[in-house]
Amino acid sequence: MSVLDVDYMLGLVPVLLRYLPLTLQMATVGMLLALILACGLAVIRVLQIPGLNAATLLFISFFRGTPLLVQLFLFYYGLPQLLAFLTQINGVTATIMGLTLHFSAYMAESIRAAIVGVDRSQTEAALSIGMTNGQLMRRIVLPQATRVAVPTLMNYFIDMIKATSLAFTLGVTELMGATQKEAAGSFLYFEAFITVALFYWGIVELLAWLQRRLEARLNEAYRR
Amino acid sequence: MFKHITLATLAAGLVTAAGLAQANDDTIKVGMSGGYFPFTFVEQDKLQGFEVDVLTAVAEEMGVEVEFVTANFSGLFGMLESGRIDTIANQITITEERTAKYLFTEPYVYDGAQVVIREGNEAIHSVEDLKGKTVAVNLGSNYEQLLNELPYADEIEIRTYESNIEQDTALGRVDAFVMDRVSASQVIKEKPLPLALAGQPFSEIKNALPFRNSDEDRALRDRVDAALSRLRESGALTAISEEWFGTDITRP
Repeated sequence: MSVLDVDYMLGLVPVLLRYLPLTLQMATVGMLLALILACGLAVIRVLQIPGLNAATLLFISFFRGTPLLVQLFLFYYGLPQLLAFLTQINGVTATIMGLTLHFSAYMAESIRAAIVGVDRSQTEAALSIGMTNGQLMRRIVLPQATRVAVPTLMNYFIDMIKATSLAFTLGVTELMGATQKEAAGSFLYFEAFITVALFYWGIVELLAWLQRRLEARLNEAYRR
Repeated sequence: MFKHITLATLAAGLVTAAGLAQANDDTIKVGMSGGYFPFTFVEQDKLQGFEVDVLTAVAEEMGVEVEFVTANFSGLFGMLESGRIDTIANQITITEERTAKYLFTEPYVYDGAQVVIREGNEAIHSVEDLKGKTVAVNLGSNYEQLLNELPYADEIEIRTYESNIEQDTALGRVDAFVMDRVSASQVIKEKPLPLALAGQPFSEIKNALPFRNSDEDRALRDRVDAALSRLRESGALTAISEEWFGTDITRP
């Protein structure tokens, strides 16, 4: 085999840059929706809301218990056989749906742990000065839980960015899909896959930097 | 603010979905893998190949727009089934199972199944030599079935792949792969992988465009078929084939 074809790799960069926004869009929207859903699920679990609690357990059990790829295929190819209107969902939407449901199941447990981790004495203190349950959550518990949850949630976000590479199986050409197609045309596999690896790595490093800054800000109040 | 972004995204999603629902008569949606050189492949983000040219010519002949949708090969029939595309242009071989389920146009490519080996592999000279060997095929392709029909099929270890069978053969992880003769020769000629043809093609294959079996799709199939035969008569099909392969693969 010949040596590394650097020109080919450089030529790939502008191509991959065109697909980068889609990858980031799917991950970001998926993350925001998953956060909202996961917070709801976590609160249901913490407050042990009757009925909803059992449904939440079932939801978490299923979406944690099956591979993301299986879930994506289920939404995109399977369910439309039962529910015809689902054929109108495009690959991007199906991917976001899959990422949201899958990762919210994991994130709900992280958020629950963070909420439960806030010392019980704070709850008692808040209630003793007459705060309602809602105020207690909003003003005392969630701000502290957020600080604890950020590192794990960021981990899930990183995982989600990389999981968007599965979207190609639903016909969505994102970073990985574009790379696979280029590699299948050029047969320069090493060059193509190392280039895309550097792309993902770069994104994640950028996020890690943002995370450090965010954590520093959240920790300001705790500085002694 | 997050709420607004989310709502906007959802709204955008719904608008896209609504747009998809209004599939109309003036566009034909064609699925392909975009990873089957030189029939359908991507270079510098540009989708090209024999299939692209043929289907563009067909659409022009029909007076409709053509929209190419690319997905992994194994996902293409799922997309056809769920109505996301009208047909698949990816060298789909007419087989008994597929004929039972789909409507095909007349064949527009005549080809053969070919054993391909790593250059210098002296152990395999023909399909008979695959006995006791490991052979790669693309998932969902008809080559797996062709191998299974061989009298010594139970002595062949078949590995199905989503993509990159050429690379795994070049790396020596499998002893051979089976693909169509035309694209295999083209890959060997134009690409840097150390591969070689082993013997003659062992089965004639006819490739055509599959459509769903419904009245509406039958009408579409007939229109595509008519366009194909006009392109055949005018010599346009031959010209496209000559351009990509230097030979006419569109006739038996």
